[in-house]
Amino acid sequence: MFLKIKHFKRDFNKWTLLIVALSLFLAIPIFSILISLFSGNGEMWEHITSYFLFDYIKNSAILIFGTGLLTFTIGTSSAWIVAKYTFKYKKVIEWLLFMPLAIPSYIVAYTYVGLIGYGGTFIEILRDFGLSINRIEMMNIYGLIWVLSFSLYPYVYAGTRTIFQSYPSQLKHTASLLGVSNKKYFFSVALPLASPGIIGGMFLVFMEVLNDYGAAKYYGVNTFTTGIFRTWTALEDLQSSIYLSAILVILVFILVLIVKWLRGRRSYNLKQTNAIHKNEIKRTKLSGLKRILYLGILLVPILFGFILPLMQLVIWGIQTFDSMFNYDLIILGLESLSLGLSTALLVVFLACLLIYLSKWNYFKQFNVFSKIATLGYVIPGAIIGVGIIRTSKSLTDLFSFQFNLEIGHLVYNSILVLIYAYMFRFIAVAYNSIEGNTLKLGKNLSESSYLLGYGKIKTFFKIDFPLLKNALISSFVLVLIDVMKELPLTLILKPYNLSTLAVRAYEYAEDERVAEAALPALFLIFLIGTMITLLNYKLKENK
Amino acid sequence: MIRIYALIFTLLFAISCTNNKEVQNPVEETKKESLTLYTHRHYDSDKLIFKKFEEKTGIKINVVKASADELIQKMETEGNQSPADLLLTVDAGRLVRAKNKNLLQSSSSDLLNTTIPTHLKDSSNYWFGLTKRARVIVYNKKTVDSSDLSDYEDLVNENWKNKILIRSSNNIYNQSLMASIIANKGEDSAKKWAEGIVNNFARSPKGNDRDQVKAILANEGEIAIINTYYLGKLINSKDSNEVAAGNAVGIFFPNQENRGTHINVSGIGVAKSSKNKENAIKFIEFLISKDIQEIFAKANYEYPVNNDAKSSELLKSWGQFKEDKLSLTKLGELNKKAVILFDEVKWP
Repeated sequence: MFLKIKHFKRDFNKWTLLIVALSLFLAIPIFSILISLFSGNGEMWEHITSYFLFDYIKNSAILIFGTGLLTFTIGTSSAWIVAKYTFKYKKVIEWLLFMPLAIPSYIVAYTYVGLIGYGGTFIEILRDFGLSINRIEMMNIYGLIWVLSFSLYPYVYAGTRTIFQSYPSQLKHTASLLGVSNKKYFFSVALPLASPGIIGGMFLVFMEVLNDYGAAKYYGVNTFTTGIFRTWTALEDLQSSIYLSAILVILVFILVLIVKWLRGRRSYNLKQTNAIHKNEIKRTKLSGLKRILYLGILLVPILFGFILPLMQLVIWGIQTFDSMFNYDLIILGLESLSLGLSTALLVVFLACLLIYLSKWNYFKQFNVFSKIATLGYVIPGAIIGVGIIRTSKSLTDLFSFQFNLEIGHLVYNSILVLIYAYMFRFIAVAYNSIEGNTLKLGKNLSESSYLLGYGKIKTFFKIDFPLLKNALISSFVLVLIDVMKELPLTLILKPYNLSTLAVRAYEYAEDERVAEAALPALFLIFLIGTMITLLNYKLKENK
Repeated sequence: MIRIYALIFTLLFAISCTNNKEVQNPVEETKKESLTLYTHRHYDSDKLIFKKFEEKTGIKINVVKASADELIQKMETEGNQSPADLLLTVDAGRLVRAKNKNLLQSSSSDLLNTTIPTHLKDSSNYWFGLTKRARVIVYNKKTVDSSDLSDYEDLVNENWKNKILIRSSNNIYNQSLMASIIANKGEDSAKKWAEGIVNNFARSPKGNDRDQVKAILANEGEIAIINTYYLGKLINSKDSNEVAAGNAVGIFFPNQENRGTHINVSGIGVAKSSKNKENAIKFIEFLISKDIQEIFAKANYEYPVNNDAKSSELLKSWGQFKEDKLSLTKLGELNKKAVILFDEVKWP
């Protein structure tokens, strides 16, 4: 790859240097993990490969396939209806479609068992109607696909909706003139054009699925990630579990390259026409049978991804209100929020920096570095934690060796390390959705600006930034939500006098006291809901 | 608009900073005496106990909660600059692991030696059991006659085909049970035992201990292997369905005619990195004092290790039982072997 570099002196600029430096800084934990690979796989490796690895990979593949199919269907169909039609209570429905993101998926997994497991709320209601059903079995791989799909489809929905909304109406007119049916228009024109958004969204879904630990463990489904944990904790072989994580990273890296390749082949410059005919985006009003059908399609994900789990949480919350509601909860909420806000701001800033630095740098070969920096999303949080602790150890060792300073107490209990870990983990969330949108912007606008004598940074603030504002805000909120829900990293790296709502909920759920976990979870949902409302409001304002 | 955001932002940041004051001034903190506790336990009762300790001694307990494996890994990499003074886990196996990784230090105290029975602590005083949990059989009172139950070993019997509920082998309590069977019966018999249990599974393992009890009520199986304190929590739950599930089952302590029921402990050890060893020992002594042991027993339905402490009414109602006196160190040593056997017999 690097052999192809020609004209090094001509093409080398300060951006090249910056992007390499920034990516390396962000990818430190990855390197720390990669370095440990040189000591080979651990002693249990043979046992792992001969007894469970392939079963676990198979399960993960089924999960990826199932959730991929479901989130694609739900995400694109709901995005299309919302983008193309107007109907009553549209604002509320748009908001509700985002809301499943507010509930951590392992909590959703628990609520489903609380709803339709034995003696579940919904089962009791059915019984009151005289139906003698004992339970509906959720605790298997299909239940897991269901739970993960309905709690993760908003990633696809969010990425796709913005793109659908930006289609100028002459696109449809042209298609109609050429005799294309509505169905064909959707499948052959609208969907392929939205592929950057869809691919970006589904990528996030897959990463979340690969990273899910809580829900899979509770439902008794062994996945690649549960395998990593089994190797580490039960087989006492951290080395092999890092090895497994590395395999996962390599698989994902291949996936990223495929995504890149797919995107590369399909770059459409839609925005150009859009900028001229901005006012021509028309939305049809829904009526009649179609209205009922389409609203039905929208209600399914809202019901299964948000309303039902929320209902069960409210029931549990009421049951445990007396013992669980206290001042502490509010402090925890504020801590979660401030941690989330500061991290999200940093992450969005860094993601923009990465994307634009790789645009401004002429060595396209070096852009692979920025991809490495975004791999944090796929590595299980606990393994990142190990990588980061190891890195901070090298740092403290350096200090005590070189300067005879003991900084261990500062590093191991510092909020900065936690925020760095979040940055590493979630930069992919912002990176993917912003990158999809910059690709849509095309090069023409910025290149015209350069021709007119503006520098790169000025062009960014005058041209790209206003056009990207919506994408920036939505990725800000996505990162914020992710940080507020984050578990393994927060648990292992947080300073002892700081905690979050997600941690509190987890502590109770881990102790098999799910009902007690409901109130912190509800407060978390409330905060995230408020943030999503602000997002929708802001997006509307910018239109 | 931006101004408002900036304002909110600074405000929130200020709030979070005031909360972190102690992090930024670690020197100041050490002046005010404190202990840093790495713990896998997250019970409300523990918080209350730490507060009592602070009231009594003026020593503040800083708590870092995560899973024992993560905490051990953390201590290992942090090395002698680790802020940890104490490590508290919910099973002896992890403490044995921590000791073998050279993360704990021996701490002699007459009080600890006389109060805690020898099989519940490390032979060289690297760690001490605080509370006991028994892994018992619960059965559907309607369909199972308790006289049909006897030993763990008997569960592989044909009579229990499609009737046994138990969670995944990822769970540490199952790993400990298996380790105890390896220790008592040898590796080959243990493997055969696990195979027999897998053959008698009512369903593929899933859910937690409480879910196994609920599955009995749903007639998915007739007997389940669970930890005692989960049953206590079910019976005292605020959810009427959980109470119903808890009351529908009877509790049976296996192996009473021979070695006794398998028990495990929640235990604690002084971290090697600790610079406050004296206070750390003081804290452990406090935890095994009669009053505190009774709080563990009442709030969390755990069996006290201090014989002077009374157990809760519920625990008393389950009756006295003979416990397996196997040294818990053995469980830690055999834990990995147990997991390997689980994999070999395909116990998910």
